[in-house]
Amino acid sequence: MSELIQIGGMNERPKPPRPEDLSLRFSDRAIRELEALETHYPERKACILPALWIAQREYGGYLSGEALAEVAFRLDRSYAEIEGVATFYSMYNTAHPVGRHMIEVCTCLTCQICGAYPIAEYLKEKLGVGFGETTSDGVFTLHEVECLDACDRAPLIQVGDEYYGPVDKAYLDNLLDRLRSEAASSVVKLADEIVQVHLRETERDR
Amino acid sequence: MAAAPTTDTVTISINDVEIEVPKGELIVDAVKRLGLEIPIFCYHSRMKPVGMCRMCLVEVGFKQPDGSVRKMPKPQAGCTLPASEGMAVYTDTELVHKDRRGVLEFLLINHPLDCPICDRGGECPLQNNTLFYGPSTSRFIELKRHLPKAFPLSRYVTLDLERCIQCGRCVRFTEEISGDAQLAFRFRGANMQPTSFQLTEFESKFSGNVIEICPVGALTSTKYRFRARPWDLETKPAICTVCSNGCSVWFDYRVGKFVRLNGRVNEAVNEEWTCDRGKFGHDFYNSPKRLLAPALRKEDALRTANWAEAYAAILEAFEPGGNAVAALTGPMVSNESYYLLQKLFRGVFRSNNLDHRWTRHLSAASDRLESKMGMPTVATSIEAFEHKSAVLAIGTSLADEEPILFLRLRKAWFKNGTKVVVACDRDTDADSFAHLVLRYRPGTEMALAGGLLAAAVESGRATVPDPVREDLKRYSPSAAASATGVPEDRIREAADILGPNAAIVTTHRLLDVADAQGTLEYLAGLAMCLRAEFNLYALGANDQGALELGIHPELLPSGVALADAEAAAEVGRTMGIEIPREPGLGTHELLRACADGRIKALWLVGCDPFALHADRDLVQRALEGVEFLVVQDIVETEATSYASVILPMLGPAEQDGTYTNMERRVQRLRQVIPDAGDAKPAWRIFAEAMLRAQPQTPFFSAEEIMEEIARVAPAFEVARYDRLGHEGTRL
Repeated sequence: MSELIQIGGMNERPKPPRPEDLSLRFSDRAIRELEALETHYPERKACILPALWIAQREYGGYLSGEALAEVAFRLDRSYAEIEGVATFYSMYNTAHPVGRHMIEVCTCLTCQICGAYPIAEYLKEKLGVGFGETTSDGVFTLHEVECLDACDRAPLIQVGDEYYGPVDKAYLDNLLDRLRSEAASSVVKLADEIVQVHLRETERDR
Repeated sequence: MAAAPTTDTVTISINDVEIEVPKGELIVDAVKRLGLEIPIFCYHSRMKPVGMCRMCLVEVGFKQPDGSVRKMPKPQAGCTLPASEGMAVYTDTELVHKDRRGVLEFLLINHPLDCPICDRGGECPLQNNTLFYGPSTSRFIELKRHLPKAFPLSRYVTLDLERCIQCGRCVRFTEEISGDAQLAFRFRGANMQPTSFQLTEFESKFSGNVIEICPVGALTSTKYRFRARPWDLETKPAICTVCSNGCSVWFDYRVGKFVRLNGRVNEAVNEEWTCDRGKFGHDFYNSPKRLLAPALRKEDALRTANWAEAYAAILEAFEPGGNAVAALTGPMVSNESYYLLQKLFRGVFRSNNLDHRWTRHLSAASDRLESKMGMPTVATSIEAFEHKSAVLAIGTSLADEEPILFLRLRKAWFKNGTKVVVACDRDTDADSFAHLVLRYRPGTEMALAGGLLAAAVESGRATVPDPVREDLKRYSPSAAASATGVPEDRIREAADILGPNAAIVTTHRLLDVADAQGTLEYLAGLAMCLRAEFNLYALGANDQGALELGIHPELLPSGVALADAEAAAEVGRTMGIEIPREPGLGTHELLRACADGRIKALWLVGCDPFALHADRDLVQRALEGVEFLVVQDIVETEATSYASVILPMLGPAEQDGTYTNMERRVQRLRQVIPDAGDAKPAWRIFAEAMLRAQPQTPFFSAEEIMEEIARVAPAFEVARYDRLGHEGTRL
């Protein structure tokens, strides 16, 4: 929101995309899943959350404006409403494109006592990024998160749908090397897992 | 038919005073019955309550069998709490006061308190509530949050995020009232921001309303920003004259200059909303192109003249009269002025060459539905749409043409489940809540109207005379479907939805299409057969008044046809003039007559033919061809450069007068801002011209003219100034 009013300027905002200008990217599989989801609820508004997960998977882990617009279009809701929902929840990545793997470091009480901060500092130094940032090679995004509900394994980190802990520096070195060599995105995998949870057994398409 | 609704009541006590209120009434409204007030921010009586701001906290308990009151352990939000039997509400306890102080202290933590430079300062609910209910000091000594101070959401609305208290009124307005849902809360908690999708333009047609309902200065009007302090402004009630809805508004002005316009409550018309076209469409009052003095063409230049010279020149050109003179009018002229104009032309210049219509199709007097089918063309009031079971809107984009009717129709659907059938050749905003959308090919309106009637006849719900039945054969639903591109079953379904409690809505825009007459007749026939109501609404602020008051080549005031010699003569006697017998020319014929020199003198009253008429070339030839051209207008237009005489006219809010809106509601607009320059009200110009032509007692005020109108056109009896209701009266 840096474009403040300019005196004497036109102060025109870009127009919201028109439906016919959208470049729809949902795969056939995604469309089938969405159609199945619509049968679960009395109205389409209820599909917004799972549809956003589908979009997060289809758009490679990041919900761009186009992704939000596509969800809005497919559910016949307003763009703003979809964006409002997506930006409310922290697990939808709406701020900027994320890396292939999202490393989420728990810094809540138990992890903190068991040394989460040195772990976080080590990761920041090793990856060369701060919290909320993505490495320049686009592999890792580092995040600080609240309690992950696995205090017995503190200090704990989450990558995609996997918990790792207790972690130490050597463990992290190994893990980062392994993740770097994995071509598949664990962010997309997590999104897919969540979509599958929303679907009934018969509707799953694997 | 609709039985009076029986309302269950419950007995509640408010501050230990027992009172009976309708069951389910919200506590925030119920306390008003005792003259009490609960402070609010997010609650708005026309929208669903959400309980977001917590300002309306009250203590609530229930009467126990032993007569004592057992209070709930925590205060409740009065805006989400429906009244129920035995409820005891306390709005004035120590706890409530403490809670209110707490809520306000919390809201003020993140509020910038830049009241000295805030547009809202002085009329701000946050200031008012803080004064009456808030803490006098703050304990907050940390840094305040900082956010964009002047973000342009659209050309009209500027967002100051720091001031937002996150009440959600604007978001709910776009969801519930205007229906475009273009605003939503992004992010959450302290970062929550009411903004548009990806910060794109907030292009709602009703965006101005969010400025008014914002309880702080977060959403501000780009045009009004920093222009005035509210206590510097003078405010008077007025009527918006931009379109035919005739919304009630507050006109705010400062040192005689129009500054801004706000919605005024009129339950029968606009409730309290305005559209952007109206709210931001009154710039002409301050236009640098305002006409302020009469001007006369001498040799090849227009030179400022005085009124006497102007009248002398006009009378010299118009006195020969008869078919050689004519007048065309625009929509923003008062009833009184229209009446006097036609009296001047018929009585003094002995000419019926008068018209106010600029549509492609001009119905001849004998073709009007009133005379041909006995069908009124304005039947349903705006308010009545709320209780219609079904509405067919055909050939019109309501949000653009009748914006307030659009809001009312949307409310009918939202609240009462009215089934709306939208038939238009393009996408319209009403599609979003339409039960059925009939998207026909441009130019096939008549086939669709015929198809609908034929479908109603086929289903046995409508009976028509045999000749009509024969005629309808060419528009059987299947034939109509192939002609219009609308699926046959949809045509049948649309016809099935309509019934006795339905209304058909169309506007004068339909008169621009091919076969307008046939389309109208089919639609009127459809309404007649199904006992539904048919409405052909006007588009200009006072088009309806111009029609009722005889700005028409073949119709006299009160709709008497010129062809009806006896009735016409009677109208003439009441007016005190002799009505010329020969019918005048309609707009198109009239312009053609100007172009080929048959009409020597033309008077344009508040209209720019270049802007209103489809055929630019014809207009140009007409204005060049006519020998003497009077352009009477508020601002300079393209036509003024062709003028022989320019007469400056006052705007609607600068004079006293009445306006007839689309539903035939006559509303009075008193003078709000002082006269601009030498300009005069239109009616005074006509009265002075009449006086110069024929010695007589002139009209001294608009009120006197309305007295005469009421005698000539008895429908206007209710519009006499001493009878006219506060919210206007329907004829």
